[in-house]
Amino acid sequence: MADLTTKYLGLTLRNPIVVASSGLTDSVEDIVELDKNGVGAVVLKSIFEEQILLEAEHSLRKAEEDSMIYTELSETLDYIDEHIKEKELGNYLDLIREVKSKVMIPVIASVNCITTREWTTFAKQIEDAGADALELNVFIMPFNFDANSIEKEQVYYDIVNKVKELVNIPVSVKISPYFANLGKVIQRLEEHGANGVVMFNRFASPDIDTDAEKVTSAEVLSHPFEMANTLRWVAIMSGRLKMDIAASTGIHDGDAVVKQLLAGATVTQMASAIYKNGPEHIVNVLKFVNDWMDKKGYNYIDQFRGKLSQGKMEHPEVYERMQFMRYFSEIK
Amino acid sequence: MIENIIDYLKEERSQEWRAELRKSLKAKERTSRERVKMPEEDPNIRNKSNTEVNTGLPIENAVLEAQRCLDCPEPTCMDGCPVGINIPKFVKKIEAKDFLGAASVLKETNGLPAVCGRVCPQEKQCEASCFYTVKLKKPPIAIGYLERFAADYERNSGKMAVPEVHEKNGIKVGVVGSGPAGLAAAGDLAKFGYDVTVFEALHEIGGVLKYGIPEFRLPNEIVDVEIDNLRKMGVKFKTNFLVGKTASFDDLKKEGYKAFFVGSGAGLPRFMNIPGENYNGIFSSNEYLTRINLMHAADTEYDTPVISGKNVAVIGGGNTAMDSVRTAKRLGAERAIIIYRRSEKEMPARVEEIKHAKEEGIEFMNLHNPLEYYADENGRVNRMKVQKMELGEPDASGRRRPVPIEGSEFYIDVDTVVVSVGVSPNPLIPKALSHLKVTDWGTIVVDKETMQSSVPEVFAGGDIVRGGATVILAMGDGRKAAAGIHKYIQETVKAN
Repeated sequence: MADLTTKYLGLTLRNPIVVASSGLTDSVEDIVELDKNGVGAVVLKSIFEEQILLEAEHSLRKAEEDSMIYTELSETLDYIDEHIKEKELGNYLDLIREVKSKVMIPVIASVNCITTREWTTFAKQIEDAGADALELNVFIMPFNFDANSIEKEQVYYDIVNKVKELVNIPVSVKISPYFANLGKVIQRLEEHGANGVVMFNRFASPDIDTDAEKVTSAEVLSHPFEMANTLRWVAIMSGRLKMDIAASTGIHDGDAVVKQLLAGATVTQMASAIYKNGPEHIVNVLKFVNDWMDKKGYNYIDQFRGKLSQGKMEHPEVYERMQFMRYFSEIK
Repeated sequence: MIENIIDYLKEERSQEWRAELRKSLKAKERTSRERVKMPEEDPNIRNKSNTEVNTGLPIENAVLEAQRCLDCPEPTCMDGCPVGINIPKFVKKIEAKDFLGAASVLKETNGLPAVCGRVCPQEKQCEASCFYTVKLKKPPIAIGYLERFAADYERNSGKMAVPEVHEKNGIKVGVVGSGPAGLAAAGDLAKFGYDVTVFEALHEIGGVLKYGIPEFRLPNEIVDVEIDNLRKMGVKFKTNFLVGKTASFDDLKKEGYKAFFVGSGAGLPRFMNIPGENYNGIFSSNEYLTRINLMHAADTEYDTPVISGKNVAVIGGGNTAMDSVRTAKRLGAERAIIIYRRSEKEMPARVEEIKHAKEEGIEFMNLHNPLEYYADENGRVNRMKVQKMELGEPDASGRRRPVPIEGSEFYIDVDTVVVSVGVSPNPLIPKALSHLKVTDWGTIVVDKETMQSSVPEVFAGGDIVRGGATVILAMGDGRKAAAGIHKYIQETVKAN
């Protein structure tokens, strides 16, 4: 029986399987279930600024429908978004406290922030509520065509700086792959004090229904083929960072977990596969990793972690090859 | 029912004295007159004292203003009044110089006309629906000024009528809270003959009318006169009495109370939950105003700590924010600043209050939002960080959402901060009655017609039902609930 113990963000995990921030991690009952099935750690569902605003609008509409509640001239309703935020944040802090009282595994809180404003200060309350670490889910929408990429990258660094000033718990940053100089940005996040990076965030995407000629939502859950980009960047960055790396997106089974560990990931984050197969799926994933390690004669993960990272490769260019030059040119 | 009201109004309008009055001046003469102006105390005098800002219309101006009213066959102004005051009738009584008659018309549906004439947002209610506003696009009849005039005239005449009450029936009804909803309910219940006791948590009667609205906008004396009237009608008051703590509903029921009206208000302050909000010198507007209005914090004769800061920032844009900032100025603040995250157009405060505040030297930092407070070594607030905002897309309420401007943060020196970003319903009663149905907002769910809650003997109204209403709406609720309680007792209690 191999030892799967893993250190991630300074925390000791019984194995490198982390359930990613998602609907799977928004209730105490579900998290207890994940714990029973052997997960290494959980990242709580993110609390989103956007979500609060939507909730505020919903509440306002509801108030207006109920004619007893007075909406005109009301100071309370003028600040309803603030009050909803306070309530939502309160609920989130309660979730942290309750989860911490029910499970022994590390509990990582998640905040979706797009500015350095109040969301960063909320980090302090998260720490006080007992979260073991904090994952910052940052994505600055690239729709402001007047701003240049340096300004946008700076927001990420500022957020990390601000949060690190406020809290003592470890902080990881979940990012997208959409940076002009991705590797440098990740290194700079580390320079600014991040303890880990989660690669990568998977976004809700649009699709088009050609029959109805309408914009719809693309499939919510990931597919295994989506893992390739993560695998590339984990392999490229793992030898170049001191901070931890959580691989995310498209990791659906034990085989994928092993691949990411070989590329150099500290842990792997899963969500879609558990949505599809239930929390029991974690047992299968762990069994695969265990069996594979036994088969290969590894006793613990550090014996093979990063073995196939770019830095350790005889032909490092394999992770850099982007174009299928010959392959496509030969297709007639 | 509505047809009956229309018939009733028609009948009233066709009375000889009204017909005569209409003929006495041509419509053109009426509409060509300018709306009267409310005389006001000089801003530089009033901002150093508690004198009432609006000094009231002199008789001749009240009559002139009443003459502007066209006595419309379909008085649309009444649609804008939450308690359905017979507006044309009371206005015409003023034109006819029957001022006591005008006051008595007001009192048919409004127990506190002197209060409503001062604090109702008429510009958004009756005056917004006035024929002048809607059709003529001219300044409306100054209904609020006239309401106040008639009520003040009656009070100063020494001929203030105490409403008639039915013979006492000995049935006990409890009223929780002595704000406008509670007082209105108590008055009507007393008229029906009930043995009414009002339970007030604070040491003074009047609720928000006393602790919330400052003397310069609503002198306590005016509220006291109304309370005395209720006493004369047999209403009993118990102060420092918290229903749910001092005695439970069950205790009171054992004492013989058959029904209750809950008008416990929205006294739970809200904060913004930003760093440093717990430092000394940062108050909720409720606490700030209560300390000054009820606990004499500004008076050295009293033990309540003095909180007259030099640089006072008030966060918010509602009437309570205006009351707080203008109070701060009166307590000697060199800088009294409103910090509001939207623009003036979106402010929930009455236009008149904003105007008065500006005249008194209040600074307005609109489109600014506080981010953090800082304190000296004693934990007393000494500085705050604010950020500039711009208006984004309108939200569900139609107001444009404030969006922060990155990098626009700066600091302001402050020694007192008053947070006035709204209040929540008082949670005490819902907590004391576990089976009471409440909304997500913490307001009590009631039947819209009877104001009866999910607990049959408990009726409710005012801010505890509406979240944050006006005085007149709260009073309307109190009256409706009194009728509901009367019906409930007739049907159930008497049947047993």
